[in-house]
Parts: sequence; C-alpha cells; structure tokens
Amino acid sequence: MSIVKKLIDSRRELIHSNGLRQVRRSNDAAEGGCGVIGVASSVPVKGKHFLTSLIQMRNRGNGKGGGVAISGLDPEQLGVSPEVLRDCYIVQVAYLDASVREEVEEKHIHRVYRVVSSHRVETIEDYAPIGLEVRPPELYRYYCKVRDDVREAFVMRHGLAGVPQIKVDDEIVFRTTYLLNSEYYASLGEKRAFVMSHGKNLLVFKLVGYAHQVIQYYKLENFSAHVWIGHHRYPTKGTVWHPGGAHPFIGLHEALVHNGDFSNYHSIVEYLAERNVHPLFLTDTEVAAYLFDLWSRVYDYPLEYICEALAPTTERDFGFLPYEKQGIYRRLQSSHIHGSPDGPWFFIVARYLPSEQRSELVGITDTSMLRPQVFALQQEEEAIGLVASERQAIDAFLASLSSEDHRFYPKADKYWVARGGSYTDGGAFVFQIDFSKNRPTLRCYNKFGELIGVEKQPFNFDDDVKPYLRELLGVRFGALEAYVMQSHGFVEMCEAIRESPPLRIPETIDLIDALTLLLDRLHLMPGFHEGQVRGTIEGTLFALMRSLPSIGDNSSTGVVVDFLTRGKLRGPSFEGQKLFMDASKFPAEGPDSAARFLVEAYSHGWKHIYTFDWRGQRFCCSGLGPRSDDLRVDVYGNPGDYLASGLDGAHVYVHASAQDQVGQIMRRGRLVIYGDVGQAFLYGAKGGDVFVLGSTAGRPLINAVGKPRVVINGSCLDYLSESFMAGDPLKGGGFVIVNGIEFDGKGKPRLMRTPFPGSNLFSLASGGAIYLNDPWRTIDEQQLNGGKIDSIDSADKELLRRYLQVNKELFGLNIVLDDENDADSRSIIAKFVKVRPLEIGVLK
Amino acid sequence: MTELEVKINRMAIEKHVENIRRGLSTLPMLTHGRPGGLGNLRWTADLLLSTYFMASHGRPPSNGLEYRVGRSRGGFDLLDFKVATDHEFINDRGIDLSIVLGRRAPSKSKKIGLPVYGGGMSFGSVSLNFMLSRALAARELDTLTSTGEGGYPIPLREFRDHVIVQVATGMFGVSEETIQLAPIIELKYAQGAKPGLGGHLLADKVTATVAKMRESVEFTSLYSPFPFHSVYSVEDHKKHVDWIKTMNPEALVSVKVSTPRDIDMVAIGSYYAGADIIHLDGAYGGTGAAPEIAKKNIAMPIEYAIPIVHKYLVSEGVRDEVTLIASGGIRTAYDVAKAIALGADGCVIGTAEAVAVGCTHCGNCEKGRGYQIGITTTDPELSAFISPEWGAGRIVNMYEAWKLQWRDLLARLGLNSIEELRGRTDLLIYRK
Repeated sequence: MSIVKKLIDSRRELIHSNGLRQVRRSNDAAEGGCGVIGVASSVPVKGKHFLTSLIQMRNRGNGKGGGVAISGLDPEQLGVSPEVLRDCYIVQVAYLDASVREEVEEKHIHRVYRVVSSHRVETIEDYAPIGLEVRPPELYRYYCKVRDDVREAFVMRHGLAGVPQIKVDDEIVFRTTYLLNSEYYASLGEKRAFVMSHGKNLLVFKLVGYAHQVIQYYKLENFSAHVWIGHHRYPTKGTVWHPGGAHPFIGLHEALVHNGDFSNYHSIVEYLAERNVHPLFLTDTEVAAYLFDLWSRVYDYPLEYICEALAPTTERDFGFLPYEKQGIYRRLQSSHIHGSPDGPWFFIVARYLPSEQRSELVGITDTSMLRPQVFALQQEEEAIGLVASERQAIDAFLASLSSEDHRFYPKADKYWVARGGSYTDGGAFVFQIDFSKNRPTLRCYNKFGELIGVEKQPFNFDDDVKPYLRELLGVRFGALEAYVMQSHGFVEMCEAIRESPPLRIPETIDLIDALTLLLDRLHLMPGFHEGQVRGTIEGTLFALMRSLPSIGDNSSTGVVVDFLTRGKLRGPSFEGQKLFMDASKFPAEGPDSAARFLVEAYSHGWKHIYTFDWRGQRFCCSGLGPRSDDLRVDVYGNPGDYLASGLDGAHVYVHASAQDQVGQIMRRGRLVIYGDVGQAFLYGAKGGDVFVLGSTAGRPLINAVGKPRVVINGSCLDYLSESFMAGDPLKGGGFVIVNGIEFDGKGKPRLMRTPFPGSNLFSLASGGAIYLNDPWRTIDEQQLNGGKIDSIDSADKELLRRYLQVNKELFGLNIVLDDENDADSRSIIAKFVKVRPLEIGVLK
Repeated sequence: MTELEVKINRMAIEKHVENIRRGLSTLPMLTHGRPGGLGNLRWTADLLLSTYFMASHGRPPSNGLEYRVGRSRGGFDLLDFKVATDHEFINDRGIDLSIVLGRRAPSKSKKIGLPVYGGGMSFGSVSLNFMLSRALAARELDTLTSTGEGGYPIPLREFRDHVIVQVATGMFGVSEETIQLAPIIELKYAQGAKPGLGGHLLADKVTATVAKMRESVEFTSLYSPFPFHSVYSVEDHKKHVDWIKTMNPEALVSVKVSTPRDIDMVAIGSYYAGADIIHLDGAYGGTGAAPEIAKKNIAMPIEYAIPIVHKYLVSEGVRDEVTLIASGGIRTAYDVAKAIALGADGCVIGTAEAVAVGCTHCGNCEKGRGYQIGITTTDPELSAFISPEWGAGRIVNMYEAWKLQWRDLLARLGLNSIEELRGRTDLLIYRK
C-alpha cells in the first residue's frame, strides 16, 4: 500500500471521533471578493510596510475579517534558538473563551506534543482604539515536537512503519489540529478555540477586522520576516463574525489567502471527502488550503503539479506543451479534475518547505483570469517579489519600505500578469527564498520552473545616457541640461534638482514638463534600472509640483491644491493657468473622492490639470461628462481602477501604468497610457483614440462598438475584442493595433516571440479589425472564434501609418511597415496581419 | 416610393390600426366567446382579455372575465387575501398608493405615485413608439419607465425625469451622457427569465436605426455577455456601484438581479455595495426573446424569493434602508398586492404594459421583424400601428383600473396605504 493511501486511510477515524456530526455540505460563509497581497524579500521586512499597503487597499474588504501569515522568521526575534525554529512546529491556538485553555492544553497539546517553549502572544492592551469592534481571541504560541510515544502508537495503529518520521509527524500535527478544531470550534454552537497555525516557520494571525488591524493588534509593525501575505475579507452574510472564518487558512506548512468564489464548492468537498478530509469552517478558502496541503504533503507533488491540478492546461495551450508534459498533465487532470476549483479565484500562498529550508510565496490564478492580479519583482543587490490584487498596493509597500531601507526603491523593475492554465507561463509564479546558504537569496520562477529575472545591463550615464538624452527630449532638454551635466546618474540628477535653490514658477513648470517627458521615455533609456529610476523621478516630480504656490495665487502660472485646501477651489485666474492637484490624501471613492474633485475642478473652468501622487484612488477622470474636449489631464502616480471610464471628449495622459477596468464605455477623447493596463480594458467602449505603451491583461475591448481606435505597443492576454462590433475600420469604424513590442535591458525595442499568446481572439466579432504585428505568423485559426486572418492591403497600410505616426510622437517608437524605405537602425520593422470578422451563422 | 405607393402604404397601415383597435375593444366583450388558442396557464385568455378591457375602460371587466389570477395552480394563482371582494369597488381616494424609492439618503429619495414602475425593454427589442407610450404614461402617472439596454433615443429625453437608464452587460447605448440624464440607474446583473445568459437581439431586428443607436453593425445579432466583465465578486460590485455614483452622484442606484438559491446573500451584498433599490427578477418574466429552455426553469419563482430576501434584510436590520422591488411574472393588480404582502415595497411591470397595447403573449417577439402588430418590433411600418398617445392612454387606463383594485383591497383590509401592506403575510392565505 502506498504511503499516500496509508496516510489518507489514517484519517478515516477522524470523521467518527469526537461525535463530530456529519459534515454540512454548505458554503454558509460564502463570500465573493477580497483584497490580497504577498511579499517575499531576500532580507527580512517589517510589518509596518505591509500595514501601509493594506490600509491603502482596505476598500477591497469590509472589516469583517482580516489576516496575515508570516514565514521566513527570525529566531532571535521570536526568542528561540535557530534549532527550535528549524525543528519545532509552531502551534498558535486562539482562545475565544479563555477559560478552556487549560483543558485544551491538557487534551490537545501536552498529550501529543513535547512543548519546548510557550507563551501568550503579545498584543496591544485594548482592541477598541484601533477601531476593532469584536474582541480578538487570546493567542498562545507553543513550540512543539511530536512526542515519541504518540508517534510510535500512531505508526503502529496505521501500519506506517517505514514512512519517514517527518511525514508521520506532519500528519499527527494535522490531525491534532483537526480534532481540536472540531471539538472546540466547528461542532459546538459556541466557538471557543481553534488553531490559527501549526506549521514550521509559519505564523498566522487573524481577527474580525481589517488585515492592517491584525498588524496593529498583534504589534507586528516592527516584526521582520522574509515572507508576508495579507488578506482583507468581504463577507456579507450574518451579523456575527468569528476570526476562524477570516483568511489565511492553513494546510500544514502553508497558509493560503483567496480572492474569488468557487462555483463547484460541493464537488470539491466531495473530492476531499473521498480522501477523508472534511472541512470545518465552511468557506471555499478552507478547502483550497486542504487541496494544497493534500497535493503537496500527502501526494508529494512538486509545485508545478499542484498548479496543474488546480488550474488545468486545456485546449490550444495543452497542445503546445512538450509531449512528456502532456502525458503527466493528462494524468493529473483525470485524477484531480473534481478537486479543481471552478469559477473566479486567485490564491496567494505562503509556505515553508522544512526539508529544503525554503520559504515560498506563490500566486496562482484561475484559467480565465477572472480575478485581478499583478506580480512584481525588484532586483538590485537585494531582491523583493510581490503579488497583489492591485498594483497600487505593491507600490505602496515599496514606497514605505524604500523610505526606510535604501537598498530598495519605490517602484518594481518589472510588473506582470499571469496567464492562467497556459503553456506560456502556467498562470503561477513562485518567489523562493533559500535559507540553506549563509545569505538568503530570492529567485522567481514560473510554474514550469523557468527563472524570471530582470534584464539589467551595466551602463555608464556619462557615455551612454547623456548624449542620448538631448536627442530623446528635444527642446525639453534645456530645462534639465544643467542638472544632467553635473550628475553621473539619474538618482544624482534628481538629488541635484531637489537640492537646487527654488526656481521661478515658469521654470519649475518647464522642469516638470521635462521630467515628465523623461518619465515617458524611460523605456528607451540604455540600461536603465526601472524601479530605481522611475521611482526617483516620480518622487522628484511630486516634490516640484508641491512646491508651487497654493490655489488662490492669482499670478502664478501654476497653483497646487490638495485635500486640505480643497475648500478653496475656484476657477483659474487667467487663461492658461494650470492646476496641480495632489491626489494623495483624497478618499478612494465617494462624494469627497479625488475623482469627484477633479470633476469639480473642471466645472470651475480649469482646462489643464496635472493630478499627481494617486494612491489607488478609483474613477480618475470619470464623471467629466460629454463634450469635455477642452480639458487635458495629466495623471501621475498610481491611479486606481476604472480610470477614464466614461471618458467623452477630454484628453488624458497617464504617465504611469493603469489598473483594471480602464476606459469602460469610453466614447470620445484621447487616452494615452505610458505603461501597462489591467483587465477588462475598454469594455463596452464606443470610441476614442487610445494609446498604450505596454501590455494589457485579459479581456480587453469586449463588447466595444462604434469607433474605438486603439494602439497597444505590447501584447494582450486572452479574449481580445470579443464581440467587437465596431463597423468597418476603413470607413470610420474601430480597430486595435497590437504591435507586440517589448524592451530589452538596453532600452532597445524588440519584437515579442508571440504577440498574442492567448485564445479567443476577436471571438464572435461582427465589426472592426485587429491589426497584429506578427512577422512569424504565430497566430493561427485555433485562436479565433469566428474571425478570419487576412493580409493587409494599401488602405489598411494607410490607416496603420497614420496611427503609428501618432504612436511615434507619443512613445518615440518608430514602427515602419516592412515594405517602407524610411527604416533606420532604430526602426522596428513590422509585418501586420489583419483579423477581421467573418460572417457566421450564429450572428445572422 | 411614388406618391401613390406612399398613399397606399398609409392606407394599409390605417386599416390595420383600425382593425387592431377594434379587436382590442370587442374581444373582451366575449360577444363571440373566448377566442381559441389565446394565452396560456399563466397569462390566461381571461387575463389578457381583461387587461385589454382595463386598458380601454380604466376599470376591471364585470362580464365574468377572471382578471385577478391565472390558472397555473401555484404561486400567485393560489395565494389570496383573507378578505372577500366583489365587483363593487370601494374607491377610497384617501388611501395612499405611493411608495418611496431609495431611503438611504433622504435628500435623494424619490416618491412615485403608485407601487409600480416600468421594466427595461430596449430600443431594438421594442419600437420607439412603444417606448414613448410607456414614458408618456409614466409621466402622467407620476412613476417611471426604463430604457432597457439599447440606448436612449432622443425623443425620450423629454421625459428624462421619468426614465430610468439601464446599464447592462453589453453596455449598448450606455455612455456618461445617458447616465447623467437618469434619476435612477438600473444595473442589470441578471434577468430572471434567463439567469446566466446575456440579452440577445437577433439580426433581423437590428435595423439601421437600431444599429446606429447601439453603434453596432446593421443586421448582425447582438449578444450581451452573461456577466459584467468588471464584476466577478461583491467587492467588484461595490466598485461598480461607486463608479456609477461618481458619474452621477444625484441618481439612485438600482441593482437588478435574478433569484438564485442564495438570493439573500446577493441582496445583502448589494446593500453593502450601496444599492438604493434591490430589484429581484423572478423566473416568470421576460419576453419571447428569452430562450425557452431558460424561461421558468432556472431562477426561483418570485413568490419564494421575496419573503426570503425581505425576512433576511429585516433580520440584518437593514430592511428599511433599501427599497425592495419585485418583478418577473407580475401580471395583475392582485399580483402586485400579493408581492407587497410577501415583503416587497413595489413591483416592476413589463409584459402587462405590452398587453395593454395589444400583446397576445404569443412569444414571437424576437423572430423576423418582431410582433406583427407592433410593440416588439423595429420595423417602421409595424411600429406605426401604435401611436405614443394611444399607447399611453391604454397603459394609463390599465393602471387606473389597478389603482381601483388596490384601493378597494386596502380598504377591505383596513389599511390606509400600500406601504402598510408590506410584509403582511398574515393577510394572505394559500388556497390549495
């Protein structure tokens, strides 16, 4: 009999023990969404940085459940020896009813474990001042080893002789927790105690509140660790909440947080029941944690197989897998398909692998990528990897960390989105921290174990950049020249600007415009270090903007307004006066939001608004109304979801990346994004000219009609232009140009291997067209669903040239069609195919 | 067309119009008995004929037509009030039939004159003339109608204070401009007649005018996705509502959902997301365009859904902050009253308004040019069978007859207002 079978069989008795009633197959605590974030760093980072990030993302939860998990712990900080940390299970028991502690300890701790050390987990004195409404449980921590006699008896009873001791011990810990929870939490009307975590080198804290309140309550602001994950919960049902329902949920050596909702919860419960695992907390996240534990610990699957079992590779993507993988994956799928969560989900897992001495942070998305997700990596001397629901949460963390620790910078070098269930990246990424060597290192891999790095080339500012800057910035270079000449790097240049004596106002604005252009051209800089340079320039820009006179100054060409001075808002004193709006302190939504203030400023007559230091606030440039053609908005920082959704005339330039739901129902106007865009981009759009420097996540331009004209310089994920209905592009209709360009570490653009890796391109479309730069014809009929791949004719070329010319002016990218003569050494030669609608029966 | 052809055309239309109108007024008289093949068990021949009668005369028929219930042998058809009624109507004008929409922010609350308003039927699924009929009627009755998901035709703007703008998953015709016109914005997440399916408009009805309004391609079928691509969870839902409120802070937000098993969860989620109105759409609604396999087979009947949600919102202590509206198979004044007694604040009416102007419930709405006597058509000639004034008059008449029945019922129940009836399941009896 295999070890797997023996371990599973050993659990049979759990169901009947303790009079635990038959498992209730209901997902009572169902919940839809949440905010999630995870961080892994080669050096320990403090909880307080996590705190800022979580506060900024609090609108993804409702304060009814929050939690964090921490791995990669520092023994000294815990007050234990490195050996204890290495060898002991850290059992953390939450006592909702303090009076049961002795009984629980007697029955479920001391009878099973040899407790090396234990203590009450320190908290602040009172929970109310930090805004908590429900008293958090008392938390006790026990450093435990399984008692020899318990192990021997267990091995004997279940015929586990020969099974490695570590596996036996893990199983004993798992069942002990199960028994404790079922007796003191799940099976009783009153909830008295439960185990928050029990793995090695892993701690979980959760309560009824927001995740940042967990950090405050358990005094984790100055607690350092290599891996952190956090979760804001948004449960809606019930008036009484318990911390047991909050995330993270545990398997054994892993903690999992989840954003989403399974539609096949019951099927998974049955799948687990067949393997003698029965949920106790009745949420889909709990079963996800059990699945992860089952596959990783009991089945001994490598991460790749776990991800495949969770999010199977199918259809065209499956066909692209190597032959051997297809065989393995097919077996995985046929064994575990009933345990594979269906519906929108995104998991972040923190786990420790005792035998490898490694902490890991894993992010996995469902195959349709229905939940928001973004990964990020910063790699200088130290490295840090992040994954979250929103890019703004990542940047908030980095901003906080870099302000204290100068080994880090306020922006990551690289941000990306996973393609779920795909042959391209597998839809999962892991950040591994290896403690087996003296100095912990961080590495990032995709599901297939391919290393993800940041391409960085050493460069010499004086030789490589200086001469090029003049050419790149043209007339704007003048404002920067003095600072560039006296410096030997971007950071130094920014310092020179900050330290220089105050300039006259017009000069400050010139400098702002020059730095903005520099920001917009960074992708072309030789060997620049994205996170370091972008973050520093942005910070300098914000400082310059804040240095302008406050609103009310009648003579200044630029005035600044922020949340505190918002009451002084009035119209411009003279034509051409510019408004600088500091968005940083405005709420993310609601009547006082940054978005509403922007609308108010426009209604006061401002025609050019620079709005900066957005920190994830939503709906930027929504609500301006129709015929807002006379307005230009320049956006800096981290604008949140639904940017420019509803835009109908105004010109919006975003000198940063944007998040999800950008430009929904956009009708007219111009939207330029000097970065990437998230999912559901331009959903239901009717028109407008849109230019994106980077790539978009899944489901762009779904149900777009009319005449949206879009240039995307990077790539798009699946479902591009599904149900596109935008007329005839050559007669005033809409289209999408996908250039398929990425940048190497030397600031040189190059063509992507696969400009559109996804499926369902132009599916069910009845109008418009996609122009895809695909010189190697990687696109095939299988990716379409009702469209047709065609070559371009002279009318198409004319249209392409027109839009590529504007694209060139905006991004400095000279893309020329392959039969043109004006190519120079920096041009990108493009060979477009046209995907156009095919008359299909279902639409007639 | 030559002048002669135009004239012939006009004469043909006039002849049809005359015939249709004559039919609608004579059929309910039962001079030749009940027409064979009319109606079905839910919308019986009697209900159709008595609605025609009410739309002509502004009062219920007294010739034996059953105008209160159908013959489905379930739900509203077996529920009854514990008071005897007869055909002598107590028309107590002191009884208040108005309801309040949106109670969360008193400054935004909106009172409507009767406990119903019009459901979304898009331009494209129905004709402009029928939309205008409904809007005119809504203005006269001091209530509302809805654009549905097909854009906001310019002539409708005259009635903007009475026109709800629907934002549905295809986003057809939805722009900041139309959202800013609306007193109420209805987010249609699902439709009870076809939960899990998006709307669809078949190619034949996508005429040049319809395509222009939706900015799509002429004579090509239009599909709305089944979900909002931006909403896959409750926090997405909140964000979506917040977005609408950013574009139009003055409007009320209504969230229209179908009735899945966990409808209580959905309702409380919408409450937390900031909805002013929670609109439950049960299984029996929808026009002929909803696929047969979905209609009546997926969503929960509205009679079950209302008390579940009402009681749940009460137990959560938030019931009085939201307005609960029911739709999906509400055919008569009595259905409305029963829905309110089960816990709704009011109802949304679609089909009954179409019946008032001559719908026979034949279920041919989506095919070809649409219904042969107008209403659910985009064909210019068929559309001409209904003029806005005539249509509005009939809809107003129908509601006058309903008002009479509500006042009579409330008087007999000893209640002074329709609001007092809410949640009074004790006044109902289930007659097996």
